[in-house]
Amino acid sequence: MKDIKILLADDDPDFIEINKTILESKGYTVEEAYTSSDALKKLRENQYDLLVLDLMMEERDAGFTVAYAVREDENMKHMPILMLSSAQEKTGFTFQLSNDKEWMKVDDFAAKPLKPSELIERVEKLLNQDQA
Amino acid sequence: MTLENIKVLVVDDDEVSRIGCERILELSKYEVDLAEDGMEGLEKIRNNNYDLVVTDLMMPRMDGMQFLEEIRKIDEKIVPIVITGYATIENAVDAVKKGAYDYLAKPFTPDEFRAKIERALEKRRLLLEAEKLRAEHIIEKTRTNTIINCMSEGVIATNKEGQILLINPAALKMLRLKDGDVFGKNVLGLLSNPDLEKKIADALSKVTSCEILEKFEVNLGNGRVLQPNITPVIDENGALIGTVTVLIDVSEEKKIDQMKTDFLSLVAHELKAPLGAIEGYLNLILEGVITGNPEKEKDYITKSRDRANELLAMVNDLLDLTRAEKKVTAKVMSALDISSVLRGTCEFYKNEAKAKDINFACDVPDQLPPIRGNEEDMGRVFDNLVSNAIKYTPEHKSVHVQVTVEKNKINVIVKDTGIGMSEEDKHKIFDEFYRAKNAVSQRISGTGLGLSIAKRIIEDHNGYIEMDSDLGNGSTFTVVLPVIEENIK
Repeated sequence: MKDIKILLADDDPDFIEINKTILESKGYTVEEAYTSSDALKKLRENQYDLLVLDLMMEERDAGFTVAYAVREDENMKHMPILMLSSAQEKTGFTFQLSNDKEWMKVDDFAAKPLKPSELIERVEKLLNQDQA
Repeated sequence: MTLENIKVLVVDDDEVSRIGCERILELSKYEVDLAEDGMEGLEKIRNNNYDLVVTDLMMPRMDGMQFLEEIRKIDEKIVPIVITGYATIENAVDAVKKGAYDYLAKPFTPDEFRAKIERALEKRRLLLEAEKLRAEHIIEKTRTNTIINCMSEGVIATNKEGQILLINPAALKMLRLKDGDVFGKNVLGLLSNPDLEKKIADALSKVTSCEILEKFEVNLGNGRVLQPNITPVIDENGALIGTVTVLIDVSEEKKIDQMKTDFLSLVAHELKAPLGAIEGYLNLILEGVITGNPEKEKDYITKSRDRANELLAMVNDLLDLTRAEKKVTAKVMSALDISSVLRGTCEFYKNEAKAKDINFACDVPDQLPPIRGNEEDMGRVFDNLVSNAIKYTPEHKSVHVQVTVEKNKINVIVKDTGIGMSEEDKHKIFDEFYRAKNAVSQRISGTGLGLSIAKRIIEDHNGYIEMDSDLGNGSTFTVVLPVIEENIK
């Protein structure tokens, strides 16, 4: 199996550790970024198969900043993005991917924290789509 | 109302008649002036204040009819009584038509004369009373206008056609209208706000009771929001005669409301983060992702507990924040020597510093000039600054607490040699929930609320907090508090 590289961008080290543990248990190579600028730097310097992106990092919409930059970059605009956030409702951000995909520019959106099985399922689905 | 110092003018070319009248009137304690004809009479009326004029009709130089007309021109409230010979009774009736209040045919008895005078005085009293009421009504109207013009709420009154009858300066200002442009014009198309115009038109289109219509808001842009209360005005027969609209500017309330909502959403998010992490770690264990690795399991349980502690600290800090928000008046503020508070803080954190082998120097004078403050709040501020300094300073380094006194202020300086922070973090470090990036990445726990609480408390004490930091080399926080005035040397 080809080595699959995933970048985890989250400002919370615990979420990085949790998701990293889950993804590594499935044999993925995982790298981490704690800020949106760090994430963009790593994305431009390396080749990733998937980006798991937290919405609220140093800014409330830092995740969108990263997603938009990715979509505008020729080299990575087709890279699948899974956006995660503990903000879903009653916290100022209420959106559903089905309605907001157009402007969210991500391929999947889920509430934090994702159960290990669910994270794996979503990641595999995105990776398979990418290959197809 | 009773008449005082009643003055009567008697005008008659017949001296006997004049003096007869004068006698009778003086017996009634009235002040009496006499004139021989109309010309002299008018002269006296112009220069005196008479309640009554008693006049003959047949006089030289100016006849009685003309005299009566001239009196009315000077003062309509003077009550004229005509006395005339029997033969000229028809003239007397004419005179009454021309404004004389009453007439008396000569010859008359003193009682008859007195009775006429009394009635005329009653008339005079009523005339003065009516005038007084009218004057009061005008003052009342002016007063009402003044009140309406001074109101901070906007007021617009229209007739039933929707034309503006009254609009006060506050309403003009709120709607950005000029005074001269609007009076008498129809509100439709004039208020440059279709919403508001439509509601006023609605109120005009239905005759309802005199109640305020449903509440609504009008957004004027730029964060300006008005809340109009539109009331149809109904006359005593139940017919609609117009509307009164009161405009209340609720922009400020809206802004505060929004800030509250934003803050609550921020709090909710910040509380969810540690909960999510705990759930995530527990899932790792429960779903068997790390089965067979007791070391890892223990690590994750420890990390979960740390996040649970963080959550608890955050809830406590939020409660502190609410407490800090209470206005100064609700708190006990007294003359306070902060040196003892500071020494208490230093004593409390001594062991923590020692455990990290931090060189912890606490230079606090035995006594400081008093500030006006709340002891518990000040303790919270110093605890926060000193515990931060120790928390963010690596082992074997130093933390220095120092106090300097200037003429009218005390500076409390807490200097650490810790991780410091970047330029970007410096600008945001006092924001609620903000945490310096290096603090987060180095897993130094904190709620991001301590400094915002400290800042609020210090500002409540009329002081301020400053900070300077060098990334990697440490931060210095300086709290500046004003000394109570009478203690300034």
